Amino acid sequence: MSTREITRREMLKLSGTAAFGALLAACAAPAAAPQAPAATSAPANAPAPTAPAVVSGPVTVSVMHDPKEFTDDMIKQFQAANPSIKLEVIKTDMTRFYAMATAGNPPDVVRVQAPDLPQLLARKLLKDLTPYFQSSSLLKPDDLAPANNYYKAKGPTQFGDGPIYGMVKDWSPDFTLFAYTPAFEEAKVPVPDTTKSLTYDELADLGKKLTKVQGDKVLRWGFDTDTAWIDRIWMNMLAEKGQSLYTPDYKKINLVNNDEARKVVKYFYDLQKANILASPVNPSPSWIGDDFTKGLVGIIQYGYWFSAMAESDVTKGKVVMLPSPTWAGKRRNPTMTATGTIISAKTKNPDAAWKVFEWYHGGSPSVDRAKGGWGVPGLKSQYAMIPTESLFQQQARAILDAELPYTNDVIQFNPYISGDTISNLWNKYVEQALRGSLSFDDMLKKIESEVNTAIQEGADRIG
Amino acid sequence: MAIHLPRVQKRRPVCAQQRAANEQARKGMSPRARRQARAFYLFISPWLLGFIFLSIVPLLVGLLISFSNYDGLNLMEVKFVGLRNYTRAFGDTETQYALQRTALWTLLNTPLWLAISFGLAILMNQNVKGRGFFRTVFYLPSAVPVVATVWIWRIYLDKNYGLVNGLLGLIRPGTALPWLTDYALQSLTAISLWTGLGSGMVIFLAGLQGIPTELEEAARIDGANGWQVWRHVTLPLMTPVLFFQLVLAIISSLQAYVVPMLISPGSGNGLNNLPPRGVYLYMIHTFQQIFVFRRFGYGIALLWLLFILIIALTFIVFRTQRYWVYYETELEEKKA
Amino acid sequence: MTGIFPLSSRTTKQALTYLILGIVTTFILLPEVWLLVTSLKRNTEYLSPQLTFLPAVPQWANYAQVFTMIPFFNYVRNSLVLGASFTTLCVMSSSLAGYAFARIQAPGKNLLFSIVIALLMIPAIVTVIPQFVIFSQLGLTGTYWPWVLWGIGGSSFHIFLFRQFFMAFPRELEEAAELDGCSPFRVFLEIFLPNAQPVLATSAILNFMWVWSDWFNPLIFLSDANTTLAVKLNYAYVTPQGQQLTPVVLAACVLYVLAPVAMFFFGQKYILQGVVTTGLKG
Repeated sequence: MSTREITRREMLKLSGTAAFGALLAACAAPAAAPQAPAATSAPANAPAPTAPAVVSGPVTVSVMHDPKEFTDDMIKQFQAANPSIKLEVIKTDMTRFYAMATAGNPPDVVRVQAPDLPQLLARKLLKDLTPYFQSSSLLKPDDLAPANNYYKAKGPTQFGDGPIYGMVKDWSPDFTLFAYTPAFEEAKVPVPDTTKSLTYDELADLGKKLTKVQGDKVLRWGFDTDTAWIDRIWMNMLAEKGQSLYTPDYKKINLVNNDEARKVVKYFYDLQKANILASPVNPSPSWIGDDFTKGLVGIIQYGYWFSAMAESDVTKGKVVMLPSPTWAGKRRNPTMTATGTIISAKTKNPDAAWKVFEWYHGGSPSVDRAKGGWGVPGLKSQYAMIPTESLFQQQARAILDAELPYTNDVIQFNPYISGDTISNLWNKYVEQALRGSLSFDDMLKKIESEVNTAIQEGADRIG
Repeated sequence: MAIHLPRVQKRRPVCAQQRAANEQARKGMSPRARRQARAFYLFISPWLLGFIFLSIVPLLVGLLISFSNYDGLNLMEVKFVGLRNYTRAFGDTETQYALQRTALWTLLNTPLWLAISFGLAILMNQNVKGRGFFRTVFYLPSAVPVVATVWIWRIYLDKNYGLVNGLLGLIRPGTALPWLTDYALQSLTAISLWTGLGSGMVIFLAGLQGIPTELEEAARIDGANGWQVWRHVTLPLMTPVLFFQLVLAIISSLQAYVVPMLISPGSGNGLNNLPPRGVYLYMIHTFQQIFVFRRFGYGIALLWLLFILIIALTFIVFRTQRYWVYYETELEEKKA
Repeated sequence: MTGIFPLSSRTTKQALTYLILGIVTTFILLPEVWLLVTSLKRNTEYLSPQLTFLPAVPQWANYAQVFTMIPFFNYVRNSLVLGASFTTLCVMSSSLAGYAFARIQAPGKNLLFSIVIALLMIPAIVTVIPQFVIFSQLGLTGTYWPWVLWGIGGSSFHIFLFRQFFMAFPRELEEAAELDGCSPFRVFLEIFLPNAQPVLATSAILNFMWVWSDWFNPLIFLSDANTTLAVKLNYAYVTPQGQQLTPVVLAACVLYVLAPVAMFFFGQKYILQGVVTTGLKG
């Protein structure tokens, strides 16, 4: 027997087992789980691809997107038509995006939403695409739907017009209403006129009449809106009066000393207190859209996209879409999310990235989306493709057409905080206020001070 | 080599071993010792590497981040802010509230768990039929993964559809107590007991069974009745185990976060789940800072502060040992 | 036997004992029964304001849906792969270190061992969050590398377990082997390890169960495609309308707990031994 420390044989045995363990793990990164394909009709004849900008040699374009919206089938189709470009899809993850950007290697094409844009612009991560739009035959600047204004900016706090940094994939005027008629019958209240816009106060009144409560249980919420977007709703309401939650430089939020802001916040607080609106104290069993399709909500505020799912077994034939309400008489019904795509400023393959971008927003994927009925297309020329077969779809389309003139405005998001900061704080503090451990004014003070802290930090980080 | 004159012993000769050891002390380690030392360090090398790269480095990196305004995204423009994140914790009312809730949780959970597990162990130590059955049943919940545990209790305590309210509704119809929201701390306690009673009982039972019966018999012979035997023999001998479990329970209660995060209503990717106010524990508050507000610096500072608090508390509890923990050697001295 | 109840009648004492044990048993079992029963209900049955204990018709289809709504086996596989690789590495690393602390002499050993114990005091989260930062900057998030590294680094708890176990062997064992000229590694591999089945089993079972049950680490380190079952089943069983099908999730839970529960039943002896060893010794 050898007296040496460890013989080679033993070392091999040891490393063999170690390698086994490591190998198991390292080899195991499986391909993305196959996703059920998004509901699409057979792709229509896509317009012929434009004369491509010269692309030399096969390049890889990395796309950070949602695998459900950027499916394997779509990837195959694109690569077949563009053999010189290979697509690599990464699941959307903002943390990962920034980590890659810090390392100097951001994804080329990125799925974003409107609240992300001011911050991305302030951090100089967006590529100006105006020259590409001007020379494109698929994506003409004049053909861009109003929601694309979210992607035009002259600066981080000046969104709405200017150089074009990206495009919306589809959108909806988000402030429309859907009414569940049996709720009105039960409350003996007439369903509102579909040609007239209610005021928010009238809406609150209706909500009160439609709410049904039994003991501690809420059997029907009279009026429901998605409080995850509550600060966007506030901003839209205030904008009718030319007001804002923030100071002009967006470095501070004003809630306590701003009477107008106080009013809009109190509006929703009162609704939640009266159990008309779902709240942390009386939460939805799943989400409010689902509640509506089960007949548990009288009126719900969601965009046109909701019409694709509003009719369920329970609600079929009993849903009426209504125009968006106003706070002060001035109609404003933009989208609140404007999900779309941008191209990274530091992309190494701008032309190839543009090809992918152009195909996604003007080629067959955009046609499929238009025909799916889940949103309004990003291009005005595609409006004709919106489905209008059923009676309900026709009614919804009529409302949509009536709303389009009011969709040109944008909600200016704060470049220093993330899109869900305020709604997170709202959920936290409104629960305490509703339970009585915090007065309304104290709640306002707390939210205001925490948002201001967050803004300060955000400004500090951007440098 | 200097000549080593063996000390002239009037009593005992220096034995060969001693001489060899003396030689060794002069020459350095023997080949055997050297080989042993080499083997030792080789054996612990994976752990040692892990210690350096997975413990020391992250601890230092964490400390560094806690002195900065890092938000996960601004590595290139990160600024150092000294102790600001630490001093912030002391002025932050939310931090204070979270600490309060955590203290309350610890004070509620720890004694209950200790007392009930210990009580169960005492019961089981008697001539109980089906001991194996009870032990298996009680211990099983700790084998249930936490995700499943939370689902079990979510549907059990649900306000509208849970079994508890359903059964209560048989007595008083229309009962819809909001266990998971309004009584979150109590619900958390129930879940924690459900999961932990079994392992506590097993440990204490082993401890009880480790007490030599002679001691108890001797006490009985001396005329002690059941209660006295318990109070003066059994209980003191169990104090080391109780003490150890107390320390462990306090440490783990202070760090609780998984169950509160999972029972939060509403979704999100889990990391920014906000549980009901009653269980807004310290770690939850920390995760909110890190994953919702991206305040890595402040979050890690909070973690370090908790770490220091745990050490301090442990130290204090250790100090109280002399008042109530009897180690065997002391006990024998007392009896002598 | 310690009889501390000051009750005179022995049967009263026994009755009381069984009563208490019965209450605790109910407390433990009732939620589990409710899980099983609800997993066989229709979603509308579960959500009805009228509570029913048993399903009207057992919906075995729920269990089928567990597999059809998501690629369930993929996630099982992910959990298994993570579990197996981590367990293998951690058991190896911890047993080597535990053995070394128990049986090998070396300068600095005591200091290092006190470090091992001291590490138990550090809340894991104080190192995990910075690890998250480091790994994301290195691009290791979304991979299984964190578990590989953690496995290699071993675990203080398991090192302690192995050390206690190996310390119990008589000294003569090594001395005899060394006289034959065996290297320390051979001694470990051919003398101690074969006799270490109980502690190896305990360590392996505990490690595997930890990975299987872990929710937090896969949540922050992995992405949806390669995450474990623990994370996935929390949000997976949702209809396209966004409604969560609770009974199906519960069915998935039942399947999910089968592995650790089975391990518990077959390895009860080992698990309890491990718990007791580390629970009693201060």
